[in-house]
Amino acid sequence: MENTAFNIEYMPRTGSEAMCEALLDEGVEYMFGYPGGAIMPFYDALPDYPLKHVLVRHEQAAAHAADGYARATGRVGVCVATSGPGATNIVTGLATAQMDSVPLVAITGQVGRPAMGKDSFQETNVMGMTLPFTKHSFLVEDPNELYPTMRRAFEIARSGRPGPVLVDVPKDVQFAACEHNGYRRLKEVPRPVAGPALEAAAALLRKARRPLILAGHGVTLSAAEMELMLLAERTGVPVVTTLLGISAFPEDHELYIGWPGMHGDASVNRAIDKSDLLFAVGMRFDDRITGAAHKFAPNAKVVHIDVDPSELGKVIRPTVGIAADAKATLRGILAHFEGAEDREDRCAPWRAEIAESQEPEKARVEEARDDYGPIRIMDAIKSTAGPEVRLVTDVGQHQMWAAKFFEFTKKNSHITSGGLGTMGFALPAAMGVAFAYPEEPVWVVAGDGGIQMNIQELATIRDQGLNIKVAILNNGYLGMVRQWQQFFHNRRYSETPMTGPDYEQFTAAYGLNGRTVRPGDDVEGAVRWAQETPGCVILDFHIDPEANVYPMIPSGMSVHEMIEEE
Amino acid sequence: MTPEAAQGATSTTLYPMEARISGGMLALVRFLMTLQNKRMPVARFTVGRDRDALRITLLLDCPPEQARRYTELLAGLEDVEGIQPSADTMEVALLKTRGDGWRESAAGVEVHEEGGTVVASGEPGVLDAWLAGIGDDVEDLVRLGPVARPGNGGD
Repeated sequence: MENTAFNIEYMPRTGSEAMCEALLDEGVEYMFGYPGGAIMPFYDALPDYPLKHVLVRHEQAAAHAADGYARATGRVGVCVATSGPGATNIVTGLATAQMDSVPLVAITGQVGRPAMGKDSFQETNVMGMTLPFTKHSFLVEDPNELYPTMRRAFEIARSGRPGPVLVDVPKDVQFAACEHNGYRRLKEVPRPVAGPALEAAAALLRKARRPLILAGHGVTLSAAEMELMLLAERTGVPVVTTLLGISAFPEDHELYIGWPGMHGDASVNRAIDKSDLLFAVGMRFDDRITGAAHKFAPNAKVVHIDVDPSELGKVIRPTVGIAADAKATLRGILAHFEGAEDREDRCAPWRAEIAESQEPEKARVEEARDDYGPIRIMDAIKSTAGPEVRLVTDVGQHQMWAAKFFEFTKKNSHITSGGLGTMGFALPAAMGVAFAYPEEPVWVVAGDGGIQMNIQELATIRDQGLNIKVAILNNGYLGMVRQWQQFFHNRRYSETPMTGPDYEQFTAAYGLNGRTVRPGDDVEGAVRWAQETPGCVILDFHIDPEANVYPMIPSGMSVHEMIEEE
Repeated sequence: MTPEAAQGATSTTLYPMEARISGGMLALVRFLMTLQNKRMPVARFTVGRDRDALRITLLLDCPPEQARRYTELLAGLEDVEGIQPSADTMEVALLKTRGDGWRESAAGVEVHEEGGTVVASGEPGVLDAWLAGIGDDVEDLVRLGPVARPGNGGD
């Protein structure tokens, strides 16, 4: 048969070849993986196909790299692992992708069919193990089902609310002769957006005097950034983004007011508390946003738009719930704001009130801007790397500082593990981003805890010649846990002080460049040096060990219990 | 019987729903895992074969609005071919009895004997009442369901 994408002719003969063919037919460019016994037939077939495989140093990194690639491109990321420990190592990556609705296909080798169920060498029930955090999973026992199953896996991964799909393939199925089974793409019928619901949502927006738009990851997944901006500009409604919604709306836009929640902006949390309408699009009212859900936005009606109907009413009961794609819905609502009567700016007093409430926070940031610390480091990266930079953050205090202070202006330029909060995510995820956009600057911001969780990937980065720059905010602690211990456990810093390597020597051992930056050093000069030095560079910023992220709403509490910087 | 009106043995308002799933044991495990993972308040769970698929009847102990959300969530699973509130749910009891008290069947309960086993079926609450009525006559009892009446099947 002819493969139209690559204009080559071949006849698949084995299961492995059918797998490669399916990957080609899905337009896969990169995959991230690690070979092993049960996936060897696939790796044997691989060199005969124009598919680029990136050999990672740990399977978890393969899943995160595929995740980063998928988040950056909107395409399905692919990772590959062998059975047993290879499969168990990708589990964290699958859970990360599931929590953040990232389209991923994970291919795992399995022991041969005759060996299954017999506790064979490197046998694990990867299907069973991953059931709770995959969108779907397949164990392919019929070689003739391999090609259509692979295609179906991609379709499931990217359709509706995206997510990870596992395809587990026994070794003998990879070896087996198989016929080419054509694949008839199932026509996905998008859930229609009901006219009355759009009308009701528009009516609530028009009537509200203290409305807020809450934009989440669904806006990015649906590529609805333009529609979001049009709606905000036509209505004058201030825009808040969730952590994963950051960069769905330019932060230098006059209508952008920040992000909410446990470590979000105090003024945004207060605005939500006073709001009379939350217009939530592509977000799921995570507990890190709502705190005590029954005290969240007590005065607000809620319009909730989400492609996943099971999200509507899960945490917050919507006044109007719309289970549909964000882009289609926003377009439908925009159609209700085309009249001259909608030119009146009803939200000006509300915006002025919010702006006034933001002043103390803004003043504090301005005061700290020139001090050695997270704000200055973020400023230096932004100004040096330029507006095209994509920032991949790990999990912890630095993640919050980056989200608060970086000022993301480029669409989909903020990539982080939100739902699962996976330490060790950033470095491998940045590999996926760098493969997706090799010409654009990619920076990792990580803590000294998380960076050590997948630091072996420096070898992959070096081998692949990836131009990833890394800023470690090194406070010698698991900083966020230490902060909680400070606030809620009477400063008993139990097992949070942490050491790491000398990163200058460490990077040198990998054949890379690194530099230590201490208080009083030239932050901007170090960042400039990193940006100008070819290849991967690590900057180890030694920061105040007891620096905290403010504000903080204690877990399960409300804006009224918010801890603010004195 | 409307879903909201279904009464279980504990007199809690129960929401019956019925699903057909394909994919065999793996699909069933995924279905069960989802019930557990999302902490759905499952009061009763019954599974049976339905030609090439499995037919599951669930009673959820929660308000209808929440049950509808759970229905949407389960409907999103790839293996679920159909899921809907079950408007016609029944329970089956297989009994070994001492006497003939079971012959005095109550309204809404169908009873017959086959091979020495008494087979009774009816709506869950009604069957409960009937079983309580024959009380000490019962030597052994196996209860099946609630299940959907054949011909409904979540299609």
